[in-house]
Amino acid sequence: MSDVEIASPHDPADGLAAVAALRRLADQMENAEVERAMRAGWSWPQVAEALGVTRQAVHKKHASRLIAAGVTLRRR
Amino acid sequence: MVTRFAQHVRTIVKAAEAEARASASPTVEAEHVLLAISALDGTDAQRVLASAGLDHHAIKLALEREVHQSLSAAGITIDPGQLPHATIDPSRHLRMGASTRTALERAAKASAGARQMQPCHLLIGVLGAQAGTVPRMLALAGVDQGKLTERVRSTTDEKTQ
Repeated sequence: MSDVEIASPHDPADGLAAVAALRRLADQMENAEVERAMRAGWSWPQVAEALGVTRQAVHKKHASRLIAAGVTLRRR
Repeated sequence: MVTRFAQHVRTIVKAAEAEARASASPTVEAEHVLLAISALDGTDAQRVLASAGLDHHAIKLALEREVHQSLSAAGITIDPGQLPHATIDPSRHLRMGASTRTALERAAKASAGARQMQPCHLLIGVLGAQAGTVPRMLALAGVDQGKLTERVRSTTDEKTQ
């Protein structure tokens, strides 16, 4: 394989690909960090506030996954 | 138009979901379908990929380079493999991402006239992308996307005749 040639950052193809990759990275980080916080005993409202989203949103997105993962979730 | 799927195609779609899980993706994207095609022995689609140097391992490596390159365009040098681990609910069915849905639409068109959608049709669908992860990954792997697509098409045509 040849060396990676990073084209001009002004190229919209690279810019758009960066956006797509950043979204995937942010999703992956959110999953990992929410799980880490809940394992450390954080509450849903605390996690929600830290992420800047509603408690309902963070609960809906992560609760079933964390329950399946066997994480003990705090009620409040 | 009703599309019938060959057994191999069903196997690939299932394997693509496993590929998505393995890479911690919340959706099944076209690159996961491509990985699944490359891993299914005994299909023309896999043989054509392999003849272009695209076995499962090579695709995986090129995909990692694509992520790395795309993130570095934004000044990010993190290795996504080094992130803390997130558990994915094994019982939860992963949704198909936009790139997979578009690839399936193209595959359905490519299989019009054939009795069933075969892995080669699916591969044509995946290779039809003009932009996004798959074309960028192919470029990084030094593969000519147009020529590869032509090779898959001619393989499919031989079989249909």
